[in-house]
Amino acid sequence: MVTVPLNVNGRSANVPVDSEKMPLLWVLRDIMGLTGTKYGCGRALCGACTVHIDGEAARSCSIMVGDAAGKTIVTIEGVTCPQAEAKSCPQTESDRCAKAVLAAWRRLNVVQCGYCQSGQIMSAITLLKKIPKPTCKDIDLGMEGNICRCGTYQRIRKAICLASDMLDGKAL
Amino acid sequence: MRGAIMFGVPNRRRTAAILGSWLGAIALLLAAALAVHGEDKKQDTKPDDPRTAAALAAWDRIVTVLQHPRCMNCHQENVPLQGDERRIHIPLVVRGHTDEKGVGSGVDAMRCSNCHNATGNNETSGTPGAVNEAWGLAPISMQWQGQPSVKLCDMLGKWARGGGNLMEHMDTNLVKWGWDPIHNPPWDPDRDQKNDPKPDPDREPGSKRTPIPMTHSEFMKLLNTWVVGGMACPE
Repeated sequence: MVTVPLNVNGRSANVPVDSEKMPLLWVLRDIMGLTGTKYGCGRALCGACTVHIDGEAARSCSIMVGDAAGKTIVTIEGVTCPQAEAKSCPQTESDRCAKAVLAAWRRLNVVQCGYCQSGQIMSAITLLKKIPKPTCKDIDLGMEGNICRCGTYQRIRKAICLASDMLDGKAL
Repeated sequence: MRGAIMFGVPNRRRTAAILGSWLGAIALLLAAALAVHGEDKKQDTKPDDPRTAAALAAWDRIVTVLQHPRCMNCHQENVPLQGDERRIHIPLVVRGHTDEKGVGSGVDAMRCSNCHNATGNNETSGTPGAVNEAWGLAPISMQWQGQPSVKLCDMLGKWARGGGNLMEHMDTNLVKWGWDPIHNPPWDPDRDQKNDPKPDPDREPGSKRTPIPMTHSEFMKLLNTWVVGGMACPE
């Protein structure tokens, strides 16, 4: 048993794990109770386990917890400030993108079974943070690594476009 | 130009002729110099030099490494390949951003480093990785797919003569990964592939990646022989 210092969703903690080689995904889910991040394949093929590490999208099934020590980890639970409308809520670029993405997802009723959606959302936030006005090709390439068995791709695409418009002030 | 003023038009023609002959002579001298010290020189030793024969023999083995999937899969134009079967990378990733060396690291939300860690091969997910080095597509100038041996030889030779440190590059962890694409740790590019027990594909997800069939030390010796032999290329 070893202890690994982790910073998850703005909170720091020394987390006891069996081994530093334990995938971050299982530390988040089984030890820290953050079950929003899903296990889909364990082989970095599906994107369901996508989280943010130091502001970049990463597949938590392929990250050993030892390698995530000391880095800023954000899961689906932590992408928006709980009081989204409160003035005291910090509005980083990532926060703005997250707020727009979640609003678009809700407005267009993107989710079907929902299993892949936390990964889809985390990837979409990264995409919009890097490319605020993505083209269809940008969306194709940026979201390529997140698969959806229910086939919500069209709604995901529309939601990303809507979120982009929201960020641009074009859609309310 | 007093003469030109005194003698009028004919002197202008004479001046032009003299200038033209000087320019022609300079051009001839330049052409001769380039012929002797041309950029496209194929090798630095004479054909009958015994080192040349050794270099050519070494190259025949070196090229089998360059054409091996562990190397060739990332020396592609826009999309990396995967596995011994060299399929298109799943999920689809493309060259995207390139750094100052021309290495492609993927598009913003689908970077190579999203999955390929700098801590090495991931034992759980099977995703490959180079220790302390970023994963990425080789520069387009080193696009090797479909290139014959003579062309590969020419490409490498030109790069080396142009200032590229060939021995250093081939000794990086990223390149050495090709010799141990599965384990982490212990990660050993000089692992004895013949006598090593075969990995269990159920326990080591990356074990279907065949390593380059010689040790890295042997490869570096061949490379040295090739360089010392003037980087001779086959005809």
